Amino acid sequence: MDLVLHSVGGLSLDFSTLPQQLVNGLVVGAIYALIALGYTMVYGVLRLINFAHGEVFMLGAYTALLSSWVMGFTPDAISKAFKADQPLTSSPLNLVIMLLVAMAVCAIIGAIIEFFAYRPMRNQSRIAALITAIGVSLFLQYAGQLFLPANPPPSISQEVNPYQKVVSFVLSPAQMNAAGDVIKPQMDITVTVGKIVMLVTVVILMLALTYLVRYTKAGRAMRAASHDFDSASLMGINVNRVVTFTFMLGSALAGAGAMMLATFEGTAMHPFFGLQPGVKAFVAAVLGGIGNIPGAVLGGLLMGLAETLVTWIGFSQYKDAVAFVILILILLVRPGGLLGSNKVEKV
Amino acid sequence: MSLSKILGTRALSVVLAIAFCFGLDAFVTGQLNEYVVRLVMLAGLYVTLSVSLNLINGITGQFSIGHAAFYMVGAYSAGIVSNAIYKTQPLAAPAYMIISMLIGAVFAAIAGLIVGMPSLRLKGDYLAIVTLGFGEIIRIIVLNQNQWGGSYGYAIAPKYQAGWLIWLLAIICIATCRNLLKSAHGLAFLAVREDEIAAQAMGVNVTKTKVVAFIVGAAFAGAAGALFGHMESFVNPDLFKMEVSFLVLTMVVLGGSGSITGSVLAGATLFILPELPRIVSFKMSLGLLLSVLLGIGVLVWMNRKFLEKYHEPDKVKRTLVVAGANIGLVVLAIVVGKLLNNVPVFGTTNYDANKIRYMILAVVLLVIMLLKPTGLLGHHEFSWDWVKRVLNRNKTGEASA
Repeated sequence: MDLVLHSVGGLSLDFSTLPQQLVNGLVVGAIYALIALGYTMVYGVLRLINFAHGEVFMLGAYTALLSSWVMGFTPDAISKAFKADQPLTSSPLNLVIMLLVAMAVCAIIGAIIEFFAYRPMRNQSRIAALITAIGVSLFLQYAGQLFLPANPPPSISQEVNPYQKVVSFVLSPAQMNAAGDVIKPQMDITVTVGKIVMLVTVVILMLALTYLVRYTKAGRAMRAASHDFDSASLMGINVNRVVTFTFMLGSALAGAGAMMLATFEGTAMHPFFGLQPGVKAFVAAVLGGIGNIPGAVLGGLLMGLAETLVTWIGFSQYKDAVAFVILILILLVRPGGLLGSNKVEKV
Repeated sequence: MSLSKILGTRALSVVLAIAFCFGLDAFVTGQLNEYVVRLVMLAGLYVTLSVSLNLINGITGQFSIGHAAFYMVGAYSAGIVSNAIYKTQPLAAPAYMIISMLIGAVFAAIAGLIVGMPSLRLKGDYLAIVTLGFGEIIRIIVLNQNQWGGSYGYAIAPKYQAGWLIWLLAIICIATCRNLLKSAHGLAFLAVREDEIAAQAMGVNVTKTKVVAFIVGAAFAGAAGALFGHMESFVNPDLFKMEVSFLVLTMVVLGGSGSITGSVLAGATLFILPELPRIVSFKMSLGLLLSVLLGIGVLVWMNRKFLEKYHEPDKVKRTLVVAGANIGLVVLAIVVGKLLNNVPVFGTTNYDANKIRYMILAVVLLVIMLLKPTGLLGHHEFSWDWVKRVLNRNKTGEASA
């Protein structure tokens, strides 16, 4: 069967690019999963949709950028070195430092937001808490617009970043007929080293999270609080500390995601940078079952795949609507999410 | 209250409303400053939007944050129909506006039905997210319609800036909501807000009530959108982003969810506040504005927490202390603002009102949620009885309310 350029219902589908798109979707999905974990953990403990999570993500990207500048990779230094024909090369250590700084700063920001905005709202209605969350999110966005540079140059630019190197996996070679015309183009997957590093890092972080939640005391306290907040506090668990810890953990993961997206993908940064990934990660969390940690990972990967598949089909302009369509469908059909418990919310 | 008294206050309200519209029209036509005219009209539109969202969020107790979508549906649908009529049969301008308003309201109501039917089965934060999602989907769909100009925008044929009509719509919206609240339907809305299960037990069709509230709210937003489209004569999807929904939401929350009076006041204030420095061409900067806002926050807090506990039998002394404390705080806020003006970041004078608007919006939202989550007016409403009470109180000198 000829796998190339099938026309289905007026759409031309180029199957030779499908594996590539799936891999792209997987990488984007991994980042969504990382952000979704923050949403899902906070919701699990506090039953609060942390609208400001996307903004923590945005601040993480800026922090990573700033830390790379501090380490000497300023735009000036990079261009000077490039002109002198001795491009600066970043070592893995630089990247690890950027990652750790972004994670640490995000964790602190998350804790601050929780302390000043969400803690006073703990006994208010959930809607009041939600409005506060929207307020925090708007505040960070527009404060960012006033004080942060929009579209700063990428932190470790393409010329000096060895992680932009491309690796190609050929799945099936091109087939030509006798006249030398290509009848079936080469089917391959091209990824940058950065993407591979990203995927590996995400997996490591997720394993670490699993360990933390399953096998440590703090993790057990977190699970107890998410199971029943009031009983947990009666059992002598310091729930305030658990909540702070949860916020810090989720925000640190978002910071890691932001650093990787900004550095390896070179996504342009602006104060509204966190909005789209934030919304999509939230949808991912709901898709997998909000409050459910494996669900967030599954949801994130599915979101990434869904998005790239829609682009592949040829509806790239509707890419941003996909998230909402999935969200509405899942809430109407299975409000508990794919892996969540499916109980209807009682008054 | 006797019938004649009711008719009396009713008539007074109607006369005041008409006088207000005509006065506004006279003001607007006499006003040469295009910018002020525009501001007065936009404030009217935002009053309509916040009162109509209040019907859904405050009175019926649902939580919709996708109001901009209905505004958009109104603007586009009215524009499309107007353009079609304009090509074949030019009419007098007011006729267009009436038709547009109706078209906008009907299409937005249909959109409200389509969005509301499935999503109103959800509650609280889930409902919020779904309405947000529907709002974005509608925007993205319009964004990709090339026949409507896509992201470039859509031109709407007769440009007609009718300040009186905009404010008339606002008044109709206020009157509808107010009268609805006195009817059995309105009481059903309130019952659903207070306790869904109890309302159901009392024979209220909960789903239908929610959907009706949603549709009425959407229809008014659509009518406002239609007037907005004709006022600007050019609309594009960027004018109806999430931020607009958040702005309207903040107005409702600030005024007090459930209070129509609060929505009106907050709608007009929150819209005009960030523009004030430009109107009065007063070299007012962000620092001053922020400090005044913070000052308001502290004022609310002080009056609520501190002065409640301040017992002073001497009425004159008490009044003096309260007034002095309040005035002192305002002065302090202004002084802090003046000092902040010297900080380069805050002292910017050529600022983008839109950027600052949302910044202020966020601060207002946070301050109000942290200090007084029920909003400034809570569930209180303006009423003639209240006016009478205040007048009588002053006459007899009784300060105890």
